[in-house]
Amino acid sequence: MSVKDNAVPAKVLVTKIGLDGHDRGSRVVAAYLRDAGMEVIYTGPWQRIPAVVALTQEEDVDVVGISSLATDHLIVPKLVRALEEAGLAHVRVVVGGIVPDDEVATLQERGVSKVFHPGSSREEIVATVQRLAQEARRERPEI
Amino acid sequence: MSDVSTAVDRLVGGDKATLARALTAVENARPQARELLAALQQHTGGAHVVGVTGAPGVGKSTLCNALIREWRARGRRVGVIAVDPSSPLTGGAVLGDRVRMHEHDEDDGVFIRSLAARSNAGGLAASTTDVITVLDAAGMDCVLVETVGTGQSEVDIARTVRSTVVVSAPGLGDDVQAIKAGILEVADVLVVNKADLPHAEQCARQLRAMLSLREVRAWQPPVIMTSAQTDQGLQDLADALQRHNDESNVEDAAHGSIAFADWPQRLLPRDRFAQHLGIELLAGGGGHASVRMRVQAEHISFNGTCHGGVTFSLADTAFGLASNSHGVVAAAIDAHITYPRAVRINDTLTASAVEESRGRRFATYRVIVTRTDGATVATFTGTVAIIGDKQNRDSQK
Repeated sequence: MSVKDNAVPAKVLVTKIGLDGHDRGSRVVAAYLRDAGMEVIYTGPWQRIPAVVALTQEEDVDVVGISSLATDHLIVPKLVRALEEAGLAHVRVVVGGIVPDDEVATLQERGVSKVFHPGSSREEIVATVQRLAQEARRERPEI
Repeated sequence: MSDVSTAVDRLVGGDKATLARALTAVENARPQARELLAALQQHTGGAHVVGVTGAPGVGKSTLCNALIREWRARGRRVGVIAVDPSSPLTGGAVLGDRVRMHEHDEDDGVFIRSLAARSNAGGLAASTTDVITVLDAAGMDCVLVETVGTGQSEVDIARTVRSTVVVSAPGLGDDVQAIKAGILEVADVLVVNKADLPHAEQCARQLRAMLSLREVRAWQPPVIMTSAQTDQGLQDLADALQRHNDESNVEDAAHGSIAFADWPQRLLPRDRFAQHLGIELLAGGGGHASVRMRVQAEHISFNGTCHGGVTFSLADTAFGLASNSHGVVAAAIDAHITYPRAVRINDTLTASAVEESRGRRFATYRVIVTRTDGATVATFTGTVAIIGDKQNRDSQK
């Protein structure tokens, strides 16, 4: 390989699915990831799952970050399944926002790689997304 | 190698997943990218490539969204490249052009890819030409390139696309000033967007007045007033672009400047030295070429590895074919090679050359030589002087 994996910036989709429009958190996280040298596709709220799948494929992102502040995290397992069905099982999905503690395990069982609660530090978010992006890159076919 | 040919088949057959991965490969200059691009060349030329540029805030993304809608209504398949700036400090980027194009997310006839400009100035990403090649080969009827809106220095776009749309809008202060030098000259179509705002007509008049001062050319750029919000003028814009494409095709045919994809196939058999080394052509045309050879006993140096001159000759052959693939004679004036890894007997080497820049007098090429296991064994850069004589199509002279 002439280009090292870490020489290519991680590509991350930051989005919101469902009906909740509180997008401040997702904007802050998008800026964190950008400032850590990643390439971030930002969409704004109210996305449909089929659109998120299409976008994940077209943009060939490594990680999808879903911001959820009003129970939208409950439909994230649906997104994970839709990504798998589209042949995008290597893409890592993370959730950030308000997720009750007792639902974290359920999400993780259903394919969510990480849940970030309020108060998660910038360093933790950046390091985790960076690591997940590298995992995704290793699993995805080259062409 | 079979990886690449399978990918080419799938991509040309319309497989979106392969298209997405191929775009990533060329964007990140992955090892297979050169071979892939060379193999895709013969499938290109079908797309009308349109660039949209203009100062920040004139409504480029919204206009692109409306133009995509118009093209879709006409049954075209559309590929979109949306370029956004990268941070010069961290290299990071937020790619937000798609925010205005969501209505096409779930449309199978539209494929949108965001590109970070990375360290490239001039309003485009370095990989833009290659990304266009891939979308063209994937069967798009139209490829739309939206640049970073940086104002005056974006003439790069005109060298990259067939038709350049320069967008302006009223009420941005001295907006005509912003487009008068440089990019006004490269415009094939001028758009005054936000035509529903006051002073739009005045803005269009100023542009027409400036155009009237120029010498008369075969193609006179029309000034079209649009409102991307209400779809006003979008049919006119699509019609004007179609006319420009048709007329450019006629002009190309008249000047014989359409690149013949088969030049490398014609030239290699005339190369006695390449024949002597047993070099065969994998693909070539339009500034690219890939060639292959097997290292034999007579290619081994006193150290027991492949002689550097053999590897150089292979790279040089790819370079020569790529630089002469436009049907115009080009002569090498400089070349440099680096050998990061050794090559042994029975290794099969592949050299893929790609055009980095081509001006009127000079052109530069980059060649990567890989082993069977995919490892890079040599990187080569070369410059040619363009002599300008047409290649002889048939004779052995």
